Amino acid sequence: MKTDASGEAITDAELVRRGREGDEIALGELVDRHQAAAFRVALSLVGDGDVAQDVVQDAFLRAFRGLRGFRGDATFRTWLLTITANTARGALRRQGRRREARLEAAGPVPAEDMDPHESVAVGEAAERARALLQELPEKQRMAVQLRIDEGLSFREIGDIIGSSEGAARVNYFHGIHRLREWME
Amino acid sequence: MTDVRCETARELIPDLVGGRLGAAEASRVAAHLETCADCRAEAELVRLLYVARPQVPESVTGRVLAAVRADAPHGRRPWWGLAAAAVAVLALGIGVASRSGRDTETVVPGFAAQGTSTTGAWVSDNGMVAGAPALDGLSDEALQTLLEELESNGTGGSA
Repeated sequence: MKTDASGEAITDAELVRRGREGDEIALGELVDRHQAAAFRVALSLVGDGDVAQDVVQDAFLRAFRGLRGFRGDATFRTWLLTITANTARGALRRQGRRREARLEAAGPVPAEDMDPHESVAVGEAAERARALLQELPEKQRMAVQLRIDEGLSFREIGDIIGSSEGAARVNYFHGIHRLREWME
Repeated sequence: MTDVRCETARELIPDLVGGRLGAAEASRVAAHLETCADCRAEAELVRLLYVARPQVPESVTGRVLAAVRADAPHGRRPWWGLAAAAVAVLALGIGVASRSGRDTETVVPGFAAQGTSTTGAWVSDNGMVAGAPALDGLSDEALQTLLEELESNGTGGSA
């Protein structure tokens, strides 16, 4: 992570300020920090790794073109992920096809100290859980994914999925409840 | 140590699994999980989901950065590009002034004519040739950009 002269991590807000002035290094740092979250959001919505990469590229371009209009009411991350979700939905509409639950880009990351047999079992259970996640309605799926994968608050999640903070919380817990039932 | 209720624990489980909690809060939530089977089962599901989260392909970074560079507006130049353009204007302006100065004795504020214009150059108060010190400080890339701008503007340095 990029730091300033005192060793403190440079905030996204500062990188955005530099990016507005055409600082490519700052823009690159923003890409580095948020590309994984953007990719996962895109993949969850379009269901295809290649299309998701196109969406991520398009979303960053849109975000950077609009930096001057970014007022900072939300965090850069929330703003970018909202653009990513909208871009992904647009890509689906253009392609005129439904999202396919393809998770070829996914792969469980077993703990290093895990027994190989245990690792295989956990890996299978994890893949099953992830596959079932794709079966949830979009808002529940996004709420669960954004809360667990990215650690977003329910307020941030609400901004991205277009609902209130309370509705985002309800979507998350409904989604978790369903997944627990399906996994039993 | 304050006990954590199920409601609070369930909200914080994703942060515990993702390593996003501070040490004190993490230990409080972990202590609750030891005593609550229902929350422990939920934590296990969250952990499964977290470890299997999709990883971003390595190719994404390069693609995005290349697209961002290609998308940079032509009018937007790095700081040294603007400096080069400013130096070009200054150098050309002084060049014109020095040529016409043979006949008109034009005075440029801050600079004094050197001799009787036999060199066609102007020197500042410290004796440095106008434009030259700044040009010396430019990188090869900046100088190349400057030359391209002069050529594209049709001036060719022969104003």
